[in-house]
Amino acid sequence: MNTELKLQALLDGALDAREIREIEAILAQDIQSAALMQELKWMKAAVAGNEAEVKLPETREFYWSKIERGIAAEAKQAAAAPAERAWWLRFIYPATGLAAMVAVMFVVSGGRTTDGADTESVPEDVNAISFRSEAEAMSVVYVADENGTFNPVGQETKNEPEADK
Amino acid sequence: MPQPPDFTTTLDVQLVAFSQAGDMIAFEELVARHRDKIYARAFSMMRNEEDAIDLSQEAWVKAWQRLKQFQGDSSFATWMTRIVINLCLDQLRRQKRTRAESIEQLDEELGGVERQMPVVASNPTEGLERAELRKRIDKAMTQLSYEHRTVLILHEFEEMEYKQIAKVMNCSIGTVMSRLFYARRRLASLLQSLKKEQQS
Repeated sequence: MNTELKLQALLDGALDAREIREIEAILAQDIQSAALMQELKWMKAAVAGNEAEVKLPETREFYWSKIERGIAAEAKQAAAAPAERAWWLRFIYPATGLAAMVAVMFVVSGGRTTDGADTESVPEDVNAISFRSEAEAMSVVYVADENGTFNPVGQETKNEPEADK
Repeated sequence: MPQPPDFTTTLDVQLVAFSQAGDMIAFEELVARHRDKIYARAFSMMRNEEDAIDLSQEAWVKAWQRLKQFQGDSSFATWMTRIVINLCLDQLRRQKRTRAESIEQLDEELGGVERQMPVVASNPTEGLERAELRKRIDKAMTQLSYEHRTVLILHEFEEMEYKQIAKVMNCSIGTVMSRLFYARRRLASLLQSLKKEQQS
């Protein structure tokens, strides 16, 4: 806070004892600060209790009539509010349920997405993997040998359509 | 036909209690008692009769809706005055957003203008009759920006502390002090000009 604002705070009784001593020491030495303090004092004294007297330029009845209408309009609006809310509430609950269901499905699937194409399963704790291609309509199982190399087991199996057999 | 109750001698606290129970006649009596004060506060802030009437009436409507919240911590008149002050400030902020700022207003907001003003060496209100003093103060206050005028009104007329003003005006205590300082310095300068005009 600068000295000018401290002078004002002194005038308004907003300083603590230490600050009052500090600012009074400045006032005793600095003529400019003392002159400014005097100006602020004049203004505070002039304004306090000298607010212009203003009267409402309307009759009691006329002024009240608009207030009464305002109260009635607000009450009407407040009564209508639950009905207005109801239409979107009818949609918000099913939408929330649907969103929750999608979220659960996403979490359960681990965030993976499939497009119905090829899938491969590679468990870490077994020495066999399987491969299935929907497009080729076939499944292949690979089993690891003692060196950890995966080889297809027997012949690759191609699932021919029944009509082709 | 039953006569409506006569509340003219009923205390404010009782009228508030009746109003809180839904008695609109009691509420109308409160309006009648305090309408001048509430309108005057709105007018001092807005400096416009039409706005002051509309906002003071809106304040009464709001008061009716919020009557249950009034716990009697302050007087009913003080509580009502706070409502109208808040409505006026909202309106003034909206108006300010829609009008271009003058260079002088920008200077005021940035601060520092008050430091360039010479200190008024003689009391510009000395020897004035009260009616004339009020008139001059009112005239000078119309020339302040709404932020400076409001701080002055809240501090000097509503007797609010810096902290309370900061809360109502949604600004820092430092800003309140700076605005009040500028408002007082500018008021001194304007009153001095009015005095010189009168003398010449």
